[in-house]
Amino acid sequence: MTGQTDMAGGGGIKVVGVNHRTAPLDVRERFAHGAHEVPRALARVMAAGASGGVLLSTCNRTEFYLVADDEPALEAVWSLLGERLPGASAGGAREYGYIARDRDAVRHLYRVSSGLDSMILGESQIQGQVREAWEASRAQAGPVLHRLFQTALHVGSRVRTETGLGMGTASAASAGVAVAGKIFGDLAGRSALILGAGDMAELAATCLNDEGVQITLVANRTPERARAIAERLGARAVSLDEAWPHFATTDIAICSTAAPHAVVTWERVGGVIGGGARRGRPLCILDLAVPRDVDPALAQLESVFLYDVDDLQTVAAHATARRRDEIPAAERIVEEETDLFWAWYGGLGVVPTIKELRQRMDDLRAHELERALRQLGHLSPEDRARVEQFSEALLNKFLHHPTVALKTAAEAGRGYGLLEAMRRLFGMEPPA
Amino acid sequence: MIVTLHLIVLALYGLATALVLAPFMGLRAAPRALAIALPCAGAAVHVVAISQLTLVGLGPALSMLALCLVLLQLASERLLRGSAVSFFAAPLATGLVGLAILSGLAPGAEAAAARNMWFVLHVALSVLGLALMALAFIAAALYLLQFRELKARRFGQVFQLFPPLERLDQLNRFALVAGFPALTLGVLLALGYGAEFSGGLHVAKAQVVWGIFTWVVLGWAVWVRVVRHWAGRRAALASIAGFGAVLLVYVALKLTQPGAERFL
Repeated sequence: MTGQTDMAGGGGIKVVGVNHRTAPLDVRERFAHGAHEVPRALARVMAAGASGGVLLSTCNRTEFYLVADDEPALEAVWSLLGERLPGASAGGAREYGYIARDRDAVRHLYRVSSGLDSMILGESQIQGQVREAWEASRAQAGPVLHRLFQTALHVGSRVRTETGLGMGTASAASAGVAVAGKIFGDLAGRSALILGAGDMAELAATCLNDEGVQITLVANRTPERARAIAERLGARAVSLDEAWPHFATTDIAICSTAAPHAVVTWERVGGVIGGGARRGRPLCILDLAVPRDVDPALAQLESVFLYDVDDLQTVAAHATARRRDEIPAAERIVEEETDLFWAWYGGLGVVPTIKELRQRMDDLRAHELERALRQLGHLSPEDRARVEQFSEALLNKFLHHPTVALKTAAEAGRGYGLLEAMRRLFGMEPPA
Repeated sequence: MIVTLHLIVLALYGLATALVLAPFMGLRAAPRALAIALPCAGAAVHVVAISQLTLVGLGPALSMLALCLVLLQLASERLLRGSAVSFFAAPLATGLVGLAILSGLAPGAEAAAARNMWFVLHVALSVLGLALMALAFIAAALYLLQFRELKARRFGQVFQLFPPLERLDQLNRFALVAGFPALTLGVLLALGYGAEFSGGLHVAKAQVVWGIFTWVVLGWAVWVRVVRHWAGRRAALASIAGFGAVLLVYVALKLTQPGAERFL
């Protein structure tokens, strides 16, 4: 990904991160940031020179959207991610990552929000994740990223309503239903329990519920959230520790906690599943969490069918075949919207700013002229007119170069930084 | 005429086999209507051919077994809402018809027996029992293949085309449970026929040994499923082992009792 050079002032729009194409699951797990980690991570990058930042961290990607100069903010991101790798090196993180700049960065986010960049083409879950990332980073986003994410959600909606990119079942959650269907056949009457009370778990549970699966338990570290979901699904809310014995009877377990390590371990459920109570009945475990919730060793039990996010996304990828035909139409919308944003970004407040600047300068000129003329009462009306013409000419000369520079930068799509600098220099309010 | 009809059946079953196996060779899957129409047409011609056949000897028995298998395949595909059973049943039926033609479709030395209703029922029920046992074997084999793919998290053709594990397990159970009474009746009719018409027909010891062995094996498979509640992979392995043992014993006895035209 390449981009234009940065603009003056606050820097250009950048996206730096890793995704499912550049990093395997175990690396993405290390880079994933929980909601509670976002403010600190962004604060660190912003301390390195970024004037705005949003962190989008999903199971498929960890991306920092920044308004920043190339260095050292980008270096701060690599260093932050690199610390999570064994050996803790920024270079190690860079190996898995990418950078997109300016217009490419805008296009990238629009492609992400519309599902064009998803592992499962056209999946809709990313739309919610983009919204959550924006909301979690709202305090640090700044006006440009605020506008960028707002429009990204609009682009995602447009693509889904105007094209068939969202047709069929291609999300990880619906793939989970498909896999469970290959084990149990008819899912009606089966039972499922949920560990974790995140959106992903709720979505998967809703998909299963639609197929007639009875959600019996919702277990979560925070009981309030578990109760809210349990109520919606007609299930019982319990603590995580209370859930383990139920692995002896359930048909399906959906795991999607935010725990940084495996919570469904051999020690906790190995005996329960392998014991006589199940009589060899299959247990389908859908591990939707990143980092993974379920100890992979459990798959060694004959009756356990364990699938993680990568597996489900592979299943769902088959559904993308039909969606591929819709890519050109979706890309057209993305390109159209990128042009619109770029026009906004490039000319962001240029005309009103130039007008405001001229008005301010003219007020100043008129004020000073009036004061000077008061002291020069002996001047004839012709001379007074000549002094006034002189002040106007001088003002025009002073403002000519900044105006032309601003318009030129705006036309090249690099107006925002210059505009911000000009507003600061001339004591105007920052752009909205 | 009988041979010509069997050759047509062979061609139709062969074509159906090629169609169902096409996706595994990287070719486009045939339209479902065609994949059903071909074995249906084959079975129709097969019924006409069997009706002209004297049901005595190896060739007619194999032909009858092939027809039962194709009819069970069509029925189970309706039950499973998929064409997975045909992946095994279609080539097996084609092979059986080919073997029937090769071993000769003329009745054996005991042609007179074919006019006796006890004997005809014995053959029909025994062949049905064997076909159901073969169907149980096919369901078990499909189960194990799908099980392996699901455990290994491979989501290719087998995952896509094969039915869910639970349905294959149900089919296996149904085939065994339905096959056992059919074979039991077939064996009882053979005993009754032997008692009623003793002296009229020479019954080879090998035939008796194989018949009873098959009945015992099928009975064991049903017992472990119904009484011991075996299910899933263990039940599938038991079905395959049982069917394999029955086939092995048949081949062993056939080798010690030569005679191409005799069933045993």
